[in-house]
Amino acid sequence: MNERIAVAAGRLLLIVLWAAAWELTAQSGALPRGLIGQPSVFLMDFVELLIDGTFPTAALITLQAVFIAFALGAVLALATALLMTVAPLVERLASPIIDALNALPRVALIPLFILWFGIGLEQKVASGVSIMYFVLLSYTMAGAKSTDPDHLRLARSLGIPGWKVFVEIIVPSALPAIFAGLRLGMIYTVLGVITAELIAGGKGLGTLVSYYSNTFDPNGVFATLIALVIVTTGMTMAMTRMERSIMRWHVPITT
Amino acid sequence: MTDGIRIRGLSHVYAGGGESVAALGGIDLEIPAGQFVSLVGASGCGKTTLLDILSGLLEMQAGEVLLAGKPPQAGRRDMARMFARDALMPWKSAAGNVEFALATRIGDTKERASRVDALLESVGLGEFRDALPGELSQGMRQRVALARTFSLRSRFIMLDEPFGALDALTKITLQDRLVELWEQISGSTVVLVTHDLAEAAALSDRVIVMSPRPGRIVADVPVDLPRPRNVRALHAMDGFQKLVAGLWETLDAAS
Repeated sequence: MNERIAVAAGRLLLIVLWAAAWELTAQSGALPRGLIGQPSVFLMDFVELLIDGTFPTAALITLQAVFIAFALGAVLALATALLMTVAPLVERLASPIIDALNALPRVALIPLFILWFGIGLEQKVASGVSIMYFVLLSYTMAGAKSTDPDHLRLARSLGIPGWKVFVEIIVPSALPAIFAGLRLGMIYTVLGVITAELIAGGKGLGTLVSYYSNTFDPNGVFATLIALVIVTTGMTMAMTRMERSIMRWHVPITT
Repeated sequence: MTDGIRIRGLSHVYAGGGESVAALGGIDLEIPAGQFVSLVGASGCGKTTLLDILSGLLEMQAGEVLLAGKPPQAGRRDMARMFARDALMPWKSAAGNVEFALATRIGDTKERASRVDALLESVGLGEFRDALPGELSQGMRQRVALARTFSLRSRFIMLDEPFGALDALTKITLQDRLVELWEQISGSTVVLVTHDLAEAAALSDRVIVMSPRPGRIVADVPVDLPRPRNVRALHAMDGFQKLVAGLWETLDAAS
């Protein structure tokens, strides 16, 4: 317990030292304040924009797109994984194509999404899904391959149908990998949505970043980045919680 | 046609990586219905290959195999298979693991639940129905696997070294449970693959000794010990020790 407190204190100290060095550099003018920002200023900016409702409103708009993209991408990825596990031929046909699509820098698709869906919610969702889908699909398929062959042989010897094998054996076996994919996918979905906002505008957090940057206000950019870090960290923490409660059997229990 | 198992000229070759390995070299074996038969032999003598073919988990290449007049097939309703490691699913409780198999035979949930409870009770795990496999000892896990295998009351039961990983004391206790469970379902034919000659002698009506690769039958030893049997008591018997010593000699001569 003491060690945990010490580690937490050490982390805090590291952040404080870093901020102090940054603050000193800015105040002394060693690097131009107008470019690198100033912790004392952007922390105040952060608090101000939090209280006047700018961040909460923008965060909600961004999160709406993130959640839709995350859920949609997850459902599509799991459905594809089901199809690919139940019908191995589908996997053999599709997997090189999927790999090629996954290698494509998705940011390059955003102009196309804007063309198709306009500059509203839909294109942000499309951008998020285009990343989320592939991340989760590749993690799920890797996890599915780690299934204990004896479990599959048992299911075969019992004559259990393919879809039931997927739900009752492959998904639980792949669950650690699926959760890793969900966690990473969550972060990448935010990336996809923020990028779409940077390019297309609107009212989300990504738009705020590009607004402050275009008005030469690095403190505004950093204040928005703090908001973003808080949002994404909160989401990953919620995910870890969920993971622990679902994968009860993964926690070693001493008797 | 027979209600038991009939094997004629069964050979099997594993091909792969340019090298082919002959696992079975012409097996002829007739097992009458209701007999408990053990297959013994050195590692790599094709015992498990033979069991996999009987269970329908491995495609037959040459020869003829009939179980109650029909060729083997995975998912046959009259067949149960137990694996070397317990093959319990770590995310399902003890009861859940037994039920997983039983669900393929009994649709009614209430009837199924009471069967599961009775089975766990009979292997001495009544209190552990909700325990996860990770919370159970190796011996307890193997008992759950036994309950799962025998829950199906199958006409044919295929056991692949079910007690290989257990300590000597737990092993004998579980062998007794196995004998009890088998005696409860009258008329079922059991094929047991084992390395343990004392186990083979204690449980079976007949021990088949196989030669190293390619596996052939070198001896067919009847076990004339009275039933019902008590494995622990058998170990103290003179005749039993002689039988095991005889099996050792046969096995040594074969390899």
